[in-house]
Amino acid sequence: MSESHVMPRRAVLRALGALGAGAAAGALTLGAPVRARAQTLGQNESVEDAMKRLFGGKPIKDGAAAIKLDLPLIAENGAVVPVSVSVDSPMTPASYVKHIYVVADKNRIPVVTRVTLAPEAGRAFMGANIRLGETGDVRAIVEQSDGTLLQVKREVKVTVGGCGG
Amino acid sequence: MSDIGKVRLRIPSSIKAGDVVQVRALVIHPMERIERDAQGKIILKNYNYINKVIVTYLGKTVATFDTTQSVAENPFFSFTFKATDPGQLKVQFLDTTGGRYEGTADITFS
Repeated sequence: MSESHVMPRRAVLRALGALGAGAAAGALTLGAPVRARAQTLGQNESVEDAMKRLFGGKPIKDGAAAIKLDLPLIAENGAVVPVSVSVDSPMTPASYVKHIYVVADKNRIPVVTRVTLAPEAGRAFMGANIRLGETGDVRAIVEQSDGTLLQVKREVKVTVGGCGG
Repeated sequence: MSDIGKVRLRIPSSIKAGDVVQVRALVIHPMERIERDAQGKIILKNYNYINKVIVTYLGKTVATFDTTQSVAENPFFSFTFKATDPGQLKVQFLDTTGGRYEGTADITFS
C-alpha cells in the first residue's frame, strides 16, 4: 500500500523537476538573444573586421563629390566630438540615401552609428556627438537605395581620448 | 542621475509648409562605456546605453539611429524631415536596460 503511494509522488516530483529545468532553460535562452542583439552593431573588433561584417566584399567607391563630412580637425576632448554628415541626394522614393554609417577606425568599438533614412527626411543629413579613443580616421559610409556604397574619411587629432576602459 | 531620460527637442521657431526642417534632439543619458578589470579584460555586464533612436513624423518613421557605446554621454542627434502637414514629431530613445524615453513637438506652420 505504501508502495502505491510513493510511486505517484516520485512521478510527480520528477515531473516537477523536469518542468523546473525546462523553465530555467527557457529563461537562459530568453536572456541570451537580448544580449546578442544589443551587441550586434557595436563589437570589440578591428575596423577591417567591422567593414567586412557590415558590407561583405562589396566595393566601396570614393564619395568625396557627394558626401560632406563635418568634423573638427583637432578634438581636444575625445569624449564629445560633434560630427555631421550630409549627402547630395534627391531623396525621392526612386533614389534616396538608405543608410549613413559613421565609423571611427581607432575606437575599440569602431561602428559608431548606423542611420536609416526614409525619403520623407527631405535631405540626407545626420549629426551626433561621438566619442573618439585616439587620433585616427573617421569615415562616413553612405548606402544608397540602389545599393551603391560611397565613402569619405578624414583624420581627427585627439588630445585626450574619450573611450576610457 | 534622476535626470536620465530627459529629452529636449530644438526646432526652428517658424516653419513653412514644404520646408526641410533640421531638428536637434538631446537626451540626458550616461551611455556607459566598457569597463575593464586590472588585467585589462572586459567586464561582461549589461551596459546601459542607448542603442536605438526612432524619429516619427505624422506616424511615419523618418529616421532611425542604431547606436553603439562609441556615442558620447548625454548625446544629441540631429536629423531633417520634410514638413508637409501640421502634426506631431516624436523622437524615442531606447536603451539596453529597457528604458524608453520620448520627446514630442507639435509642428505648426506660421
